[in-house]
Amino acid sequence: MDHLSILENKSIFIIREAYYRFRNIAMLWSVGKDSTTLLWLVRKAFFGKVPFPVIHIDTTYKFPEMYRFRDEYAKKWGLDLIVGRNEGQVAAGMGPKKGSKLDCCNELKTNALKQVIEKNGFKALLLGIRRDEHGIRAKERVFSPRDGNFKWNYEDQPAELWDQYKSTAEEDNHFRIHPILHMTELDIWNYIRRENIPISELYFSKEGKRFRSIGCLPCCGPVESKASNIDEIIHELETTHTSERAGRAQDKEDAYTMQKLRSLGYM
Amino acid sequence: MDASKKTLVIGLDGVPCTLLNDYLEKGILPNLKEILSQGYSLRQMDASIPDVSSTSWTSFMTGVNPGEHGIFGFMELRPNTYKMAFPNLNDVQAPPVWDILGNTVNNRSSSLYDKFNGKVPGGFRSIVLNIPQTFPAPAMNGILTAGFVCPDLRKGTYPESAYDYLKSVGYMPDVDAAKAASAPEAFFDEVFLSLDRRAEAYMHFLESESWDLFIGVITETDRLHHFFFDAALDPGNRFHEKFMLFYKKADEVIGRLFNRFMEATGGKGLFMTMSDHGFTVIDKEVYINNFLRESGFLNVNGSREYFEQIDSGTRAFAMDPARIYINLEGKYPFGAVKDSGREKAVAEIKEALGSLTRDGRPVVKSIFEKSELYSGPAAIKGPDLVCLAHDGFDLKGNMKRQDVFGNSHFRGMHTRHDAHCLLPGSIGAPGRLHIESLAEIILSNYREA
Repeated sequence: MDHLSILENKSIFIIREAYYRFRNIAMLWSVGKDSTTLLWLVRKAFFGKVPFPVIHIDTTYKFPEMYRFRDEYAKKWGLDLIVGRNEGQVAAGMGPKKGSKLDCCNELKTNALKQVIEKNGFKALLLGIRRDEHGIRAKERVFSPRDGNFKWNYEDQPAELWDQYKSTAEEDNHFRIHPILHMTELDIWNYIRRENIPISELYFSKEGKRFRSIGCLPCCGPVESKASNIDEIIHELETTHTSERAGRAQDKEDAYTMQKLRSLGYM
Repeated sequence: MDASKKTLVIGLDGVPCTLLNDYLEKGILPNLKEILSQGYSLRQMDASIPDVSSTSWTSFMTGVNPGEHGIFGFMELRPNTYKMAFPNLNDVQAPPVWDILGNTVNNRSSSLYDKFNGKVPGGFRSIVLNIPQTFPAPAMNGILTAGFVCPDLRKGTYPESAYDYLKSVGYMPDVDAAKAASAPEAFFDEVFLSLDRRAEAYMHFLESESWDLFIGVITETDRLHHFFFDAALDPGNRFHEKFMLFYKKADEVIGRLFNRFMEATGGKGLFMTMSDHGFTVIDKEVYINNFLRESGFLNVNGSREYFEQIDSGTRAFAMDPARIYINLEGKYPFGAVKDSGREKAVAEIKEALGSLTRDGRPVVKSIFEKSELYSGPAAIKGPDLVCLAHDGFDLKGNMKRQDVFGNSHFRGMHTRHDAHCLLPGSIGAPGRLHIESLAEIILSNYREA
């Protein structure tokens, strides 16, 4: 079997296993390329009809292109779409300019999701995270328990050998299931090309810039790129040395800041 | 342009009023002395609480209390975790003076902005050099290069042409303080070099750019004080001469900038120097988290790092310099205090800290509750309690020490009550000055008649 088919089979196995074990599940769809790929795999796993709700956490700050894309495909694919919004905070004017960016993410993403989980009583969520995104994600499990505060104790996780996924844990609020954890950014693009998966136009170059990952408009910066179609993006990724997540720059700044603060006795 | 509507502020990080008076008397600061003889007065000033540079400088530049601007220290915890985060200018919630003067407030607001909105014409150009807590440099009407902490000079400078210039003259955003203990001579060399590069850059911008508000900060003073404040007044200290020499050099720089400014404005410009806090000599460092641990408020799991050491059953913990947070349920992963139990925990900690002594001397001078210090939309993020210590007791919020009292290679500690401000004698309300009131004095200079 070819590489992409092996990855696809593994993902579909995890998706079906999760649905069989929990039933009361949902998937998170950010409208980005990874979770759209996940959505595609879920549709394949259940022969075109997604048997559980699809949650979009709406901070109200997403790109207009993302809202259009979401609504178009939610209709086309007959999705049971739940739009999760922290209405209280949205009404109070929370935003990247009002509070700090940390507060904004916490209220409009984390707490919005908490509200959706609480309201619907979901036992598990499917997420499109990948191991190669960030150092800490290398420690992730495919079935990953979270407590009521969403805390993930990465020092105490069940072993996952021979595809034996552990789905019971004490006092845990819900499980996070990661069906595409084993894929890389390049795998995703190759799979998108093979399957002809629709993705947001934001990923393609316009006036010399494109978005390599998309989220909220005020906090996303495009990268310099001339790649205006999937073949060109794949070629760019095969030859690039820069990181997908600008978060890496943040890590470096934090390390420098800590060293500076320590030298003045603040740590 | 009306020359009297130009303002030059020289910031002197951590320079105490009492030390300036002492050095003036000793004749070490002839330029400041000359300025004072021209109708200026040198006044002691209160800093923000906590009296840490990030908080106090943000109070200076926004003219509001931390409950409005949102900066309570150099570090915070990420929401719902014990992981550290380092707030920067993007986390400052109130607009700084240069944005109010430059029409670049965007959609921020503050009580100070409300006061001046529509009363200053706007479109004023500012040059802002080396104010701590201004990284990353924002797009603004003028030039800015960020002060401590500035992890990347390019990202810390606006516009790009200013970065190119600073690079070309060997400008250093900060000295390497780690050297102070291991190689003091090399550290002093670097401090002098850094001041020299700064002075050249400041004079260049002052002369070759057009501007309405110029703020240039010297931060080497704070670095010297942290490691060598015991040398300030002790002729027997081997670094005493070097320490005073630095003040002489800084005095020369101030004199040059002042004279050039007064030439350009025909003596009409508004001039001031100020500091974000004072300094005094450390007797003992006090590790509050160990006190909280010994008193049964804090449980620690040493196998983890930094604040992630906080373990279940913890009722309170401290972060630098003396901010105390109640470990509330729902707010923190191991939260052990219900909202209804908060007041009781606060009262118990106040009582415990109030009775902390060393060799019979009380350590804590005053303990403030959040509501006594902070008001505004960001107040909710503030610490539940903040302590001010008696001079000599340096309160620390780190998690790495084992005892309650100790000493290290640090010799100086911040003081809240001994910041300074030198300004025209005719300006400023009588009584004590507060750092949060300076922005209003600056803005008033641009008010339409």
